[in-house]
Amino acid sequence: MKKHIFSLTILLALLTYDLQAQVKPGTLLIKNGTILTVTKGNQENSDLLIENGKITKIGKGLTAPAGAKTIDAQGMFVMPGIIDAHSHIAIDAVNEATNPVTAEVNVGDALDPLDISIYRALAGGCTTSHAMHGSANAIGGQCQTIKHRYGGVNPEDLRMEGAPRTIKFALGENPTRVHGIGRGVMPRTRMGVEQVMRRSFSDAKAYDEAMSKYKAEVASNPKALPPKYDRRLETLADVLKGNILIHCHSYRADEILMLMDVCKDYGIKSICFQHVNEGFKVAPELAAFGASASVFADWWAYKFEVYYSTAYNAAILTKNKVVTSINSDSGDYIRHLYHQAGKTQRYGELSDEEALALITINPAKQLGIDKRVGSLELGKDGDIAIFNAHPLSSYAVPQYAIVDGNVEFDRAKDADDQRLSVDPVKSTPSFMQARSRHDHDRCMQGVFELMNYLFQN
Amino acid sequence: MKKPSTLFAVLFAVVGLSKSFAQVGEETMKPVTRTYALKNVTIVVKPGQTISNGTVIVKDGLIHAVGQNIAIPPDAKVLPSDSLYVYAGFIDALGNTGIPKPEQPARPTGGPGGGGFRQPGVNTGSPTNEQAGIQPELRARDLIKPADKSIEDWRKLGFTSAHTMPFGRMLPGHTALIALGGTQADNMILRDNFAFSSQLTGAQTVYPNTVIAVISKYRELYKQAEQAKSHEKMYASNPGGMPRPEVDRSLQAFYPVIDKQRSVCFVAPDVKSIYRVMSLQQELGFPLILANVREGWYVADQIKTKNIPVILSLDLPKPEKKDAKKDSLIAKDAELKALEARRAAEMKSYETQAAVFAQKGINFGFSTLNSKLADVRESMRRMIKNGLKEDQMLAALTTTPAAMFGVSGSLGTVEKGKTANLVLSKKPYFDEKSQVRYVFVDGTPYEFEPEAAAPAGRPGAGGGAQASAAAKIAGKWRYNIETPGQSFGGDMVFKDEGNGNLSGTWTTAQGETKSMENVKLSGNVVTFTSVVTMGQEVNLGFELTLDGNKLSGKVKAGDAGAFPVEASKTDPKE
Repeated sequence: MKKHIFSLTILLALLTYDLQAQVKPGTLLIKNGTILTVTKGNQENSDLLIENGKITKIGKGLTAPAGAKTIDAQGMFVMPGIIDAHSHIAIDAVNEATNPVTAEVNVGDALDPLDISIYRALAGGCTTSHAMHGSANAIGGQCQTIKHRYGGVNPEDLRMEGAPRTIKFALGENPTRVHGIGRGVMPRTRMGVEQVMRRSFSDAKAYDEAMSKYKAEVASNPKALPPKYDRRLETLADVLKGNILIHCHSYRADEILMLMDVCKDYGIKSICFQHVNEGFKVAPELAAFGASASVFADWWAYKFEVYYSTAYNAAILTKNKVVTSINSDSGDYIRHLYHQAGKTQRYGELSDEEALALITINPAKQLGIDKRVGSLELGKDGDIAIFNAHPLSSYAVPQYAIVDGNVEFDRAKDADDQRLSVDPVKSTPSFMQARSRHDHDRCMQGVFELMNYLFQN
Repeated sequence: MKKPSTLFAVLFAVVGLSKSFAQVGEETMKPVTRTYALKNVTIVVKPGQTISNGTVIVKDGLIHAVGQNIAIPPDAKVLPSDSLYVYAGFIDALGNTGIPKPEQPARPTGGPGGGGFRQPGVNTGSPTNEQAGIQPELRARDLIKPADKSIEDWRKLGFTSAHTMPFGRMLPGHTALIALGGTQADNMILRDNFAFSSQLTGAQTVYPNTVIAVISKYRELYKQAEQAKSHEKMYASNPGGMPRPEVDRSLQAFYPVIDKQRSVCFVAPDVKSIYRVMSLQQELGFPLILANVREGWYVADQIKTKNIPVILSLDLPKPEKKDAKKDSLIAKDAELKALEARRAAEMKSYETQAAVFAQKGINFGFSTLNSKLADVRESMRRMIKNGLKEDQMLAALTTTPAAMFGVSGSLGTVEKGKTANLVLSKKPYFDEKSQVRYVFVDGTPYEFEPEAAAPAGRPGAGGGAQASAAAKIAGKWRYNIETPGQSFGGDMVFKDEGNGNLSGTWTTAQGETKSMENVKLSGNVVTFTSVVTMGQEVNLGFELTLDGNKLSGKVKAGDAGAFPVEASKTDPKE
């Protein structure tokens, strides 16, 4: 008997697939649903066909190719997979908080395909997210747009191939607290944050010029020497060239205006402001610059610089023609972005399409992936969320999440334990155990007090 | 009448037998003979080839003869080896053996608020290479201390040579293959500068701190080294009109790697690290050895296809102790039962890793990095129980690493002409009741006392073993506790109260001295509690195991969870 178990385990291990290959795109027919295309209106009682990961047909009476899986969506609502423009799931490192500028680091180097948060996001219809560096630094690291392909161990499976490069910037209290107060270095003030950014751009420009000069010279002079390779400046030079999109953590209107001025001075055209809780104050200026905004539905006052905001923020920005999205910045909110989007109908009376755009085509535009995802159109990726009611209804429950034509979440098949990897030593408490022991907050309280006491010399 | 000096030598040799032939006297004194005969032994010549009732003759550091019906040379010392099993000495494919662990630098003093920290004299964002853990120019050869206890400890388990790397973080330095015996570091070197060691470990409080910065820094250093190398080359051939190249020993250390003359021995225990390392390798193109692999079963096929040399870890996760109370709880709770089954299956994956690799025909060595001495033989047995054949285990400890390090001509088998590195055990080595009785390194025998059966100790009453554990633990220790993102340390002082009982005090990171309560010693495990006050009282429960010259285990802090603890002795007089 024992022997049997061992050989079974070995057999299972032997069956592990070749991990270099990307997850294979699937073929799938969704039948008889209400299709919310977001960009091209709704189609009732219609079918949608995905072949090899791409949407190939939308219409009535479609038939599935031989062997293809079919989902009967009778009475259900079929929408583009939800996109979260700001999250930190599926990465093992968030902040390289040792320097005010760390443009060279990239969270894409620390993708975590085993993170259960990916599955949880899928269970909320979210199929793509923007895994971001944190906001400790004025110029943080590069971010990675990921597709929620869950089930493998290869980090490369998560990377959304061809998605533009993005980078995290941060204004205000976080960088000044970490570096100014915490480490006694610039930036200690908001003025310092601006100066750190300007100096970084100037250095990058000089580096890029020196590199171009070297490249031009080396052809005729083999003794020409390149400037010492510097990944930080090289990355920033790519930002200046528009090869990397800026996503900036921001709250206050004055700082938002400041950064747009900096961008103007350095010829940077594309910027997305994250959080941007005072965005409603400068919505026309954002629209005029062509900047976009990614906001919370109704979350503010969690620190001084975000004291002043409104649940109407998304609606005001939208009505001012700012490309706006609603993000989660959380492994929890990411599960109900459709609900967050629905709040803009209560606070701002946005139309269904405007509200849905906040979590589909608009974040896609902000990430530079709107040609691929964010709406249901022929030729786009087969990334779909299916709900049992209209997704903006309070009663909506996600039923399926589909990525590249593969069903990644199926509510009917949702098992108790969806983790890909578990700790071989430590027991996981059952729900009843965890509940009876103590509540979550008290548990964490112990950690922080102990840390403060023992570790803060 | 014999000369007094000869008499002395004989006397010393006899006394020395009880410990080790190599340590005869404090001053170096030549052994009476360097010829040894091992009679009536079972010789495991190499995996799959055994000679029973055989004889091995060791002469002048080499294996002189192996087989049946071998004549015993007249000058040979015949060891009482009857019915022992003889194996080629084991080769540790990666560890820190022979290199003393550097002192933890004092913790930086904290700054006000924000969770930040100020470190006087340290530029957190651009620290020195040493602070950043970037020291590829270091060489194991320069750091080896022949008297380091780790050499004796691993030898006692049957390891006669070890591939050793400096302690460190991202780029700890160059490795060396060394003999686990000898009095001069230089003379212990079997392969100098064998590999360029690397880890994805960030510097604790400075750049590069996280794995994303480590990977970025790796790329940057590699490209900078390529630039510097090409500059040096151009300058050497014709310096006219060129600035003199900047000399940077850390970058220069990369040159043989860039030339693909030297492999990068990359420590990658978990599957995510393995992927990160493999993609870095693909990008930069260096020759790679994957080392200390613990979760390799996911990528075994890829490792095979790419033909990457691989060193698996001997450090298996340790199952929790049986707990009847917990078991009865599990039996009552269906969800818990499923969770426990899942956990057990995961444990099996670790235990079957080596078998999976062997079954796929992938050769591998074993690393002792982070392994606890006391657990290693049990780990080997667990792997064998889980499908690894004994021959495959032996190959991973002998012939495969010998080939990996290019020393098959001298090490790895019990064959005539090879270096006399041998392990002699009572009962086959992988048998649970097996005991190592002799280890030969370069023809020098080390004898080990037969282990006494464990004393039927009443807890706390202390048998002989317990009293000796208490004596070993008594003294001053420097501990280090690892918490997520931070580590801190202080002192622990244990006092031997006789009869295997201990008492003691410890200091918190703030320098506050606390007494140890409920100090209990059971076998090699010492436990104690202590209470710290911080608005509320937090109960700390320490559980530490004596392992060679180390104490390691965990501290449970109230509801906050358990954190790993390691301590090493600072008291020079043990």
